[in-house]
Parts: sequence; structure tokens; C-alpha cells
Amino acid sequence: MTTPTFGREASPPIAEGRCLVKSFGRTPALNGASVAVPPGEILAVMGPSGSGKSTLLHCLAGIFTPDAGEVYFDGRRIDHLGETRRSEMRRRDFGFVFQFGQLVPELTVEDNIALPLLLARLPRRDAYAAARSWLPRLGLDGLGARRTGEVSGGEAQRVALARALVHHPKVVFADEPTGSLDSLTGEQVMELLVSITREEGTTVILVTHEARVAAYADRMVLVRDGHVTVADPPAAPSKPADGFTVGVGPQPASLGR
Amino acid sequence: MYRLGLRLVARSGREALLRLILTSLAVAIGVAILLAVLAEFHGFQAVSNRPSWESTSGTAVSTTRATRGEELWNYSETIYKGRFIEQLDVAALGPRAPRIPGLARLPGAGQFYASPALARLLKTVPAGELGDRFRGHQVGLLGDAALSGPDELAIVVGYSPSQLAALPATQVVNRIASAPQLMGTTNLYRLGFGIATLIILFPLLSMINTATRLAATRREERLAALRLVGATPRQVNVVASVDAVVGASAGVVIGVFLFLAIRPLLESISFSGVRFFGYTVTPTLWGYTAIVVMVPLLAALSSLVSLRRVWITPLGVSRRTTPARPGWWRILPMLVGVPLFIDPLVSHPGKPDGTLAFLGLFLIMAGLVLGGSWLTMQISRILARTARGPSGLLAARRLADNPKGAFRTSAGLVLAVFAGSFIACVVPAFAAAQTQGAAAKLTNVLRVPLAMGPFSGLDPKTGAQLLSHLDSQTGVTVVPLYVNTAGSADSIVSCSAIRALPALGSCDRGVEAVQANFVDLLNTDNPIFFNKDLPAVTHSSTPTDESFSGLYLSGLLVKTTGPDTLERVRTYLTDFEAAATESSLGPASRKGGPNAFQMLAVQPQTFGEVAAIRNNDVDNVERVVLAIVALILLLAGCSLAVGVAGSLLDRKRPFTLLRLSGTSLKTLTHVVLLESIVPLVATTVVAAGVAISIAEPPLRALFAANLGPHQSFASAAHPDLGYYMTMLGGLALSALVVLAAMPLLNRITKPDHARFE
Repeated sequence: MTTPTFGREASPPIAEGRCLVKSFGRTPALNGASVAVPPGEILAVMGPSGSGKSTLLHCLAGIFTPDAGEVYFDGRRIDHLGETRRSEMRRRDFGFVFQFGQLVPELTVEDNIALPLLLARLPRRDAYAAARSWLPRLGLDGLGARRTGEVSGGEAQRVALARALVHHPKVVFADEPTGSLDSLTGEQVMELLVSITREEGTTVILVTHEARVAAYADRMVLVRDGHVTVADPPAAPSKPADGFTVGVGPQPASLGR
Repeated sequence: MYRLGLRLVARSGREALLRLILTSLAVAIGVAILLAVLAEFHGFQAVSNRPSWESTSGTAVSTTRATRGEELWNYSETIYKGRFIEQLDVAALGPRAPRIPGLARLPGAGQFYASPALARLLKTVPAGELGDRFRGHQVGLLGDAALSGPDELAIVVGYSPSQLAALPATQVVNRIASAPQLMGTTNLYRLGFGIATLIILFPLLSMINTATRLAATRREERLAALRLVGATPRQVNVVASVDAVVGASAGVVIGVFLFLAIRPLLESISFSGVRFFGYTVTPTLWGYTAIVVMVPLLAALSSLVSLRRVWITPLGVSRRTTPARPGWWRILPMLVGVPLFIDPLVSHPGKPDGTLAFLGLFLIMAGLVLGGSWLTMQISRILARTARGPSGLLAARRLADNPKGAFRTSAGLVLAVFAGSFIACVVPAFAAAQTQGAAAKLTNVLRVPLAMGPFSGLDPKTGAQLLSHLDSQTGVTVVPLYVNTAGSADSIVSCSAIRALPALGSCDRGVEAVQANFVDLLNTDNPIFFNKDLPAVTHSSTPTDESFSGLYLSGLLVKTTGPDTLERVRTYLTDFEAAATESSLGPASRKGGPNAFQMLAVQPQTFGEVAAIRNNDVDNVERVVLAIVALILLLAGCSLAVGVAGSLLDRKRPFTLLRLSGTSLKTLTHVVLLESIVPLVATTVVAAGVAISIAEPPLRALFAANLGPHQSFASAAHPDLGYYMTMLGGLALSALVVLAAMPLLNRITKPDHARFE
């Protein structure tokens, strides 16, 4: 089976899944799904609930090991790697923004952002300096000492975004990053995600069931019954009614479809 | 990572602090109990390993010249109000005569050293009841090394060599025994302590495990978040271990202080019947070290084991698989064990196959522990079918979801309840068998054997003096037994004397004296045989017309009206024995040999005292078992409290959502109460029920073997009211423990606090 790359054949994919099969007990989630994502691309993975889109993302990120098929990152096969190696890879090369539960509520905003660097044994001072440098970019000025349990939903997602980007990952995996937010806050988070990843040249694999969110992506695939199919190009997102200004961070760049 | 772990512990807000406090308190209680068991065991070991000078033996007194390193030694025991007094009569034969431990020098003639407890008694009790038994005056106290505990009654009386040589049973000793005395019960107690430690250790570790896994689900979510950003399994383990070790270490410190606070109480009680010296009731440095090292280590280990799910996926517990349901095979050992235990006892009551019975008992206990989760699942199904309201249904579903987890806190309790119920059935029935029937009427009757084995009895002249003195005492009734001149083992007894003690039986009308067997009644130390030998005189007893004058006394049965009179009689008998020995049985006139009374190392005992000595052993076993049951109940209560608090913290979100959607706090309280209490009640009832139902066959077998089928004492092998009250009280206390956690439920599920990170 040929992996769909949708016109980016020139650059080898940074993340790729080939014929992925994954079941939970008797429930199949992926049934021969294949996808390839070139470097710097923002890919939206869409599909109805239970279609297997989150499972596809978890397989590509090395969280799940597929029952069959192959997963590649930067040309290296990763589905055969041990748990520790995959953890190290997640820490070094990947960033994650999920809908819930990705922050440690007992830690402060700064602690949470610095966490991947601390886990990578970066000196404490450097880790916190790096964490603090992200606060103004994401409109989190003055919130560094707050516990994440004490900030709003939108702020918490921006903290998650900062944490996903603080170590300059090659790929950011975002699973319904705006799922728990109202549309305005959701769009603020998406604009930040898109603008910063474009600035950093980071690849984004974005799982969503919202067309408005998918519209921020360069390209969109559809997961249905465990298969990946080509979808129509995403429509341009509509601008928030009251405009959008967040902190001193970079403004969203061109969506560049 | 260690720093991050400590940071997570130290800065994790009120909820984490609450978790830390609960963990520490639960571990502290466990540690204090473990230290207490170790301390009691050390006290017991100190006693059982004590050099036993009482076991010293020597050689017969000879006329050859003694060496300077020898002494005359005469060890005996006397009784005061049911308590034994060790008495050593001693006379140094030279300046290097050996000394018993705890004695600075040997007492001279007319002097004695008493143990502190005996010295106190001698000061308070009239001399006629106790002091007159010992010749001389007190010159000092026996040191601890001579004694097994602070309450022991012992005395070392000094004699002149010629005085002591004249006493029967005196020996020449040149070396004091230093080996520990291995009594029949020592190994039993040692085994008991071992089993008790294991039985306590199981729920204790289970509680420490529960405590360190408190609110595990929420913690696992945090750790999963760490895994998501790339923490390796090893790094997550470090964070989790730091958390567990901090809680356990705080618990160990509090536990050690708790133990030190209750230590004076421990010194004042003893499970084995003898109070230990306070300074021996210590876990020792090794015990402390083992606890301080092992408990945090076990906590870390337990925490790591519980984190296996986070090993699997950084998505945490969201994808966990439902644990396998417990199968019916779990109760199979019990189903096999019950007939295996009962059959040998019922089919061969006289001589049951002990191996099969023990195997059966082991299988029953294994079945109870294994089958508990299956039972919990069945109960949850019944609850689900019969539940009328939402609380019953919610609790039933929760129990059905994880019956193994629900039963875990009760697992240790099952064995304790089983053992406690079994003992509570057997001991009262056993005690009743010894105290009911004809023997009960002889409780205050003193047995004075005067003929035994080669000893012919008390000569007629001395016997007449003794009887005349005893008859002159108020509150004293004597039944003299005479040696049968026909050479039979049966004694001759007067029918008029028998009337004073109807429990001994009665003669046919017109008969003045009969021959009857009193050997066992006078000599056996097993009270279970008393009823077998009573009545001693029946219509089939052979009448005799022999005159009592000129007959040797083979024994006396002396009835007294109260304990003081009894001790006066006993003191008189001791004095009389010494006087009679000096006047008629001195070295010059020893041809006739001493009588049995003089040779007996133990003074005469009442029937009640004989029964009490045997009952004391049984009571000690009962006390030890009930103490274990009480400790395990305490542990189960703590486990329950910890478990309930943990499950509440874990389910903060669903419970708050239920409350937000209109479920009343009362309903949620019912859910928690039901899901906590139902497994506890079910397992308690089953364990107690099995124990009570299997307790009767062994009793029947025991009595059938010893008494024959005509006796029926095993009629009431069921526990007394106190037992049922204790069980009900324990369960009520458990319900209160669960209810005590309800303010927490209210606080954490308050709708205005509803906020999920």
C-alpha cells in the first residue's frame, strides 16, 4: 500500500505510519491506517468519535505500539523501540497538547513548563530561564508562580502549549486541544499554536472533530473505521469577531495553504 | 528526579497534605503495633532463655566429706492462693559453694532472701497463712537474674548443713544449672508468637500498602502526565517512590514515638500469663533498625508494584483493563477442607487422624482468604438485584467492578475472626467441662496424698496427731483415707466421713466403711479426669469392717470454708511435715523412709487449683488469640479508614458530578457506607459461621477420647454473649470509622468547589 503524502514527495516525512493495526480487546481502532507527514506541515486528522483518530496520533507519537504495521520518525523505525527509548524520544523530539490532564496541578505554571527540560537533566537555572522566556510569548505574564489548578481553562491550554514547545520539539501532537474551551478561547489557542510552530518550523499533527480547528491546518486527512482517507482541503478559519491580541507574542503567520 | 519527587510531595496543596497525613498515621499505627509485638516477643524470649537454676540437680547426700565448692540443695514449690512459690532450701558446705544468679551470697542458717513480690506478700499476709512456712528472717531480696518476672514468688532459705541433710529429697550440688528450661509450653508459645506475628504482619503490610497507595488513581494521573512529556518509567518510579518513602518514613517516626508512649502499658500486661521485666519489653536495636529500614523500603516497593499500569501507557489509567472476575474455584479449598476436618473427628472420635484434620483446617483457612473476593462478588450481585434505591445499585456496581480490591482490606480480618471464633467456642466449653459436674463441688477441697509409689503412707501415730489438729480447726472438715492392708490400691474410707463431701458419693444403708479408688482423684493433674472418677463411692463399692486404728493414712481430703482457712491449713501442713521429719525421720531413724507427702516437691492443692492451673494454660492461649484478633480488628479499622479516604479522593470528580446533578449527600454517604461495610460484614459472618460450625466435632472427639461416651460435656460448643457483643461492637465501630470519613466526602464534593484541573 502506498502511503499518501499529498504533494510533499520532495521532503522525506518526519512522521509516518504504514498499515497500522491496533485493537483494544475485541474493539478494532485502526485497521491498516497509513499516513505520512512532511517536516513543517500542520496536518489535521479528522473523523467521527470512535473512528480511531486519537489512536493514530498515539501510535505516531510512540505512546501506543501498533499490533501490526510500522511507525517511522525522521526516517527511523520507532515501533520496535523499548519503552525507555520511546520516552526519551517523546521528551526530546515531541511536544503534546491534549484536551485534559496533561498538566500536573500540584506544580506551578513555571514548573510545568520547565518539566521536559528538568526531565532531560538540564540545569535547573537554565530550565527555569527557558520556561520563563515562554510566559510573555503566550500571554502568561505574572502567572508563573500560580498552580495550574488555579488558572483558567484557556490559560491552562496555553501553559500546555508552552510546555509542548519549550524544548523546541520536531513534532507537536495536539489531541483536541480546544475541545474543552469556548470558541473564542479555542481560536486564541489555535492561532498561537499555528503561529509559533510556523515560526519554529515545527510539524504539528492535530486531531480534531471541529472543521473550524482543522481549517488552521495545511492539510487534512479523514479517519473512518480505522482507515485513513484523503479529505478535502480545510477551509480558512474565520476571524474572531472582536479581533485577537495576546501578550507580546508573535501574530499568526499566513496559513500558507 | 528526587528533588522533583520531593517537590511534588512538599508543594502539592491541601489534598496531598491530607494524603500524607493519612498515610503517615496509618503507617505509624502499623509500626507501633509491629514494635509492640517485637517487644513482647523479646520479653518472652528473655524469660524462656533465662538460665534455669531451678533445674539444678545433684547427687544424694553421702557421709563422705564434702568439698569446699559444694552445697546442700532442696528445691520445692508451695502454693499461696493459687500462686506457686519457688522455695530453695540451701546450706553451703564450703566458702566456694555455687550461688544461683541474682544472689550476692548464700543465706546463712535462719536467713532467707525473698523475691520482691514475695517480700511484699510476707509483710501484708498473717504469718499463720504464709510466713510460718519459711524458717528464719529476711536478709535481702533476690535479684532479677533469679526470677522470670517482677511478680514471681521465690525464696531462698538458708539452713545449717545438718538440718538440711535431715530433710528428705536434699541433694549435694556443685554446679548450678545454666541451661534454659524448656517447658512443654515454651515451644508452643514460641510457635504461637511466630504465627501471631505472621497473622498480624499480613493485614499490617496490607494496610501500609493501602496507605501508600492512597488516592492512587489521582496520583497515577499525575505520573501519567509526567510520562507524556517524556519521563522514563524509571524516572516515574523515582518520583512515586519518593512520595511513598516520605509518607512511610514520617509514619515510622510517629510510630516509634507512639510505641514509646504505650510501652509502659505493655510492661504492665502479659499475654503469656507472666509479667515480664520492663527492660526486657523492647524491640531491641535490631528491631528498631529493621522497622526503620524495612517499612519505607516496603512502602516504596508496594508503590512501585501498584504503578505497573503507568508503566504500560503514558495515558495513565484511562485505558486500564477490567481485572479478571474471581472464579468459584476460590471456595473449593474450603469445601474440601470442612469434611476433611470433620470426618476424622466424627468417624474416629477416640483416635482421630490429626494430620488430616490439620490439613482440613489449613484448607478451610486458605479457602476463606481465597474465596473472600468471590463471596464479595456474589454479595454485590445480590445487592444489585435487591437494591431499591440508587445508593444500593451504585455500591453494588462498584463492588462488582473490583471485588478483589473491595475484599483486600478484609482479608487479614477473615483469619482473625475465624481463629477468634474457633477459640471463643472451644475455650468456654473446655472450661465448662472442667468446672461443671461433681468436681465443681470439690473446688475448695484440698488433696493431701500421703501414699504414692513406694511410699506407704503416714504412720498411725503421726496420722492421729495430724487428724486431731485438723479436726480442732474451725471451718475445716477432713475425710481421711486409709491404706488397705489387703494390698489393694483401693483406700478404705469411713461412710460417715464421706457424708461431709457428698460429691465423693455415698455408701449403702448400714455400711460403715468401704474400699474405694482415690488414686487419680488425689494425684492426677488433669482436671478432666475428676468427673470420670466421681463418685468414688457407689453402691458397688466393697464394704469393709476393718478398724481404722493402726492403719496408715494414704491421703486426706480437707474441706475449708474460705481461702484464709485454706492457707492456714496449708501452712500448718508444711510446719507439721517439717516437725514430723525432724522428730521421727531424722538421719538416725530413717529406716522407715519418708512418706509421699514429704517427698512431694509441690505442696497440696485444691481441686479448684488443679483445674485453675490447667485452665490458666487454656486461658493464656485464649488471651493471646483474642489479643491478636483485637489487634487485627484495630488494623482492619485503620485500613478501612485509609481505604475509604483514599477511594473518596480518587472519586472526587464522579462524586462531585453526581452531587452537581442533584444526587444528595445522603445517597453518596449510603453508597460509601454500603460498599465499605458489605464486604466486611459478609466475610465476618462467613468466617465466624464456619468456625462456630466446625468447633463442636473436635470437642466431642476430645471428650469422647478421655471420658468415654457416658459423659456429655461437649453440649454447648458455642461462644458466649460477650463474643457476639464483641463482634457486633467491632462491626459497629467499623461503620463509625466509615462515617467519620463523611465530612471529607462533603468537603471534597461541594458543588461550589467543583473544579477539575
